[in-house]
Amino acid sequence: MLNLTPEEKRAALFLLIIAFCGITLNNLVKLNCGAKKLFCPQVSLARINLNKISLEELVKTRCLPLKASQRVIAYRQQQGNFSSLEELKKVKGIGEKRYEKLKEIFFVE
Amino acid sequence: MKGLFVSAAIFYCLGILLVNYIRVSFWLVAGLGAVVFTAACLNFRQSRIFTVLVFLLALLFGALNMKNAFTLPRCHIRNLVHYNNKGSYSLSGYVDSQPVIKGKHSSFIFRAEELQADNFKWLCCGKVLVKLDFPEDLNYGDSLTLKGSFSRPYISSFSSRSYRDYLSRQGIFLLMHIENSLQVIPREAKSGSRLIAFSLWLRAELEQIIRRYLPDLPSAVLSAMVLGQKTTIPWLVNDYMVKSGTVHILVVSGFNVGIVAFITNLLLKIIRIRRKTRIILVIACLLIYCFITGASNPVIRATVMGVVFLSGYLLKREADVYGCLACAALFILIINPRQLFDVGFQLSFASVLAIVYLYPKIKSFLRLNKCKSKVLRFISESCLVSLCAWLGTMGIIAYNFRIVTPVTVLANILIVPLATLITLSGFSLVLCGYFCPFLGGAFSTTAAMLITLLLNINAAMIKIPGAYFYF
Repeated sequence: MLNLTPEEKRAALFLLIIAFCGITLNNLVKLNCGAKKLFCPQVSLARINLNKISLEELVKTRCLPLKASQRVIAYRQQQGNFSSLEELKKVKGIGEKRYEKLKEIFFVE
Repeated sequence: MKGLFVSAAIFYCLGILLVNYIRVSFWLVAGLGAVVFTAACLNFRQSRIFTVLVFLLALLFGALNMKNAFTLPRCHIRNLVHYNNKGSYSLSGYVDSQPVIKGKHSSFIFRAEELQADNFKWLCCGKVLVKLDFPEDLNYGDSLTLKGSFSRPYISSFSSRSYRDYLSRQGIFLLMHIENSLQVIPREAKSGSRLIAFSLWLRAELEQIIRRYLPDLPSAVLSAMVLGQKTTIPWLVNDYMVKSGTVHILVVSGFNVGIVAFITNLLLKIIRIRRKTRIILVIACLLIYCFITGASNPVIRATVMGVVFLSGYLLKREADVYGCLACAALFILIINPRQLFDVGFQLSFASVLAIVYLYPKIKSFLRLNKCKSKVLRFISESCLVSLCAWLGTMGIIAYNFRIVTPVTVLANILIVPLATLITLSGFSLVLCGYFCPFLGGAFSTTAAMLITLLLNINAAMIKIPGAYFYF
């Protein structure tokens, strides 16, 4: 009737299978909250844990100069783990501007 | 005829390179051009000499265009201001890009029209990158008067790639830093292209659809893959993808352009539009998609290739892939010859060229056609495409980013098919979310699951010993 090419038929099939999978997954999540992990990526995939990063790794990120990185690690060793990212502002050399950038790269757990 | 565009593009690029490394006067090149043109006219009937002269003319045209790109008009804003943060200026013009808001900061490209300082006024032209220390609700085309001082982009001490060079290739030589919202005075008039304004409005709408259906991280990844909006991609995700050599999936490429052409063609076919009209409408949609995605080099390349290919149907001529590629290169470089030195441009063309040239050769060398198992043949062909793209771009990546990523081939075998599925389901989501929102949920879950899987695989890939190394 429409004279669909094989590619167009494949596209129609693809759309249907995607929608079918989506509805099945949706149902799975409704029945089992644990399944949410399947499509909610962990925070660690998008940000670095500030309480676990080593000095070497911090320097490698190139987000901070060497001295500031050393101060961050020293602060963590002296005061214990960071309880919030805001605490970064207490480290010498990290002002409001730098904090705004670091906020997008790190998280605290 | 087939090799005409390819040869012209090669000679044109040679001309650009020549002028970039050798100092010659603009008028000398122009004079030479006039001589060669006259000679070509005189030898019109002598085929060989004529062809040589035409290619020489293409080389001189490239050189001349590059020289012209270096010359700024007298009224260019760079020639009118002191850029050492001295003095306060009042600059009128309009917003020439979609403003990017990141946290408490926003930035946009501003097209200058009038400059005022110490009771003097000048009509001016040129672009300025404006950085605001506060989020401001602005749109493309908004007319403004900005008050502040100018500075030049910095030169990085970390790498050989300078931010100043990067911006100058886009025609931006000055930065304007604004700390206070009182320094931004809106004017009533609207400026800029209506087509771009419409495309940007559409992009914002589509982005909203993606954000409505997906969590933060998957929506950021999908926006990059479908709409070319990379501003919300977390730094770590980008970094991981650079290290695994799969960052190209975050860039809108020929594949996306192909999908747009396919979907538009299918929809128009369903409503029984005639073939010629359909092709013209598909070309129009490709152009709008090009603007939606920010008209970056890979998108322009893919769009021009698509348009040339489709025009082949209209003109009843067979379009070959090298010719399309050469047309795309010429199109970009005639508008801005400095793009030849842009890494994005080099990577985009090198990867396509490597796949087009190397893939059939290696495939016939390895005799993959004789493989009887379809699955095995599909896997080995996928590996080969990744390998060719990697071989084509490895040198440029190593030179510019000082990183070698042996894991690329393996990572791409796993990630590219996933990215293909994500892009397809992303387009389905965007279309369904726009036209029948109640169906969007069915597509979003699949897309989110595939994105999560992709991010996990990517994170695992770079943990393989020797996956990447900087030098």
